[in-house]
Amino acid sequence: MAPIPPISAPALVEPLQAAGGTGGGDFSQVFSSAIRSVEGANQDANASVQRFLTGEGEDLHSTILATTRAEMAFDLFLQTRNKVVSAYQEIMRMQL
Amino acid sequence: MSLFSALSIGSSGMAAQRARAELLVENLANAETTRTPEGGPYRRKDAVFESTPVGSPFSSVFGKELEAASGVVVASVVTDTRDPEKRYMPGHPDADANGYVAFPRVNPAEDMVDLMGAARGYEANVAAIGAVKDMIQHSIELLK
Amino acid sequence: MAGELERYMDLLSARQKLVASNIANADTPGYQTQDIDFQSEFQNAMGAPQAAAVAGLPNKNDGNNVSIDRESRLLAENALRFQAASALLHSQIQQLRSAIKEGQS
Repeated sequence: MAPIPPISAPALVEPLQAAGGTGGGDFSQVFSSAIRSVEGANQDANASVQRFLTGEGEDLHSTILATTRAEMAFDLFLQTRNKVVSAYQEIMRMQL
Repeated sequence: MSLFSALSIGSSGMAAQRARAELLVENLANAETTRTPEGGPYRRKDAVFESTPVGSPFSSVFGKELEAASGVVVASVVTDTRDPEKRYMPGHPDADANGYVAFPRVNPAEDMVDLMGAARGYEANVAAIGAVKDMIQHSIELLK
Repeated sequence: MAGELERYMDLLSARQKLVASNIANADTPGYQTQDIDFQSEFQNAMGAPQAAAVAGLPNKNDGNNVSIDRESRLLAENALRFQAASALLHSQIQQLRSAIKEGQS
């Protein structure tokens, strides 16, 4: 049996990088794309769960990974939002 | 691609090998039976295996599964139709007018070897189910 | 790339299902051993894997070519590889979860 092909550094969800990686760009753009990622991940997860439940040959591990991606996309979105809100609050405090 | 249908496949294998083993045991137990309710000596029986398409019990759609994978089923039980073996035993209660007794055409040595084969086949299916179950278990652990 | 690991696990599942099929049909007259071409399916990275008959396995009297030795070996190998891939994936997920939580402060 041939050796397992080498696997590079982990990057579980590409959209997450795009949404969370910007260090201070346009906030609304960051938000929109983060929300889209979360919605997309959610749709994929729901579809996967559906296929699994109806016995259409969806692997359990695929469904689990899809729901994990959705969960993490949402978590990242929450953290991003919290950061933005606290940054905004700090700025508002400064102006007083 | 679903591992759950692999469980069905494994259990179909277990059922088939067990049915085969039961027939072999019946053959061995009746190797010397000269008288049966149907008349005449015991006639040996063989299980005929056949592949069968598989879907999980929850499946609504057959076609999506990996089509080449299939379970197994005992399609039929074949009864030996050959003439029974005649042995010359004039004093035997089942002897005919010429002193011959009809005996089953059972080769105990052959059936013992087949029985071991059925047992090994059964164990192999048990191992397959175990391995598949472990894989499903590991998938679940991804959530932890 | 986690996508690769998932594809790897997909293929191992498909392969294991065929192993189960081969084992169940080890005594079925005329049955031919089935497998997938793991390497090329992995390069493909997409789409359902294709099953094909395996070359080079001798036929027994009843036309069946299943080798219990081969299937038992594959059964164990697939299970171990699956476990390894799942463990790697799990640790990647843990890392990412930590990274996200780090941002909480």
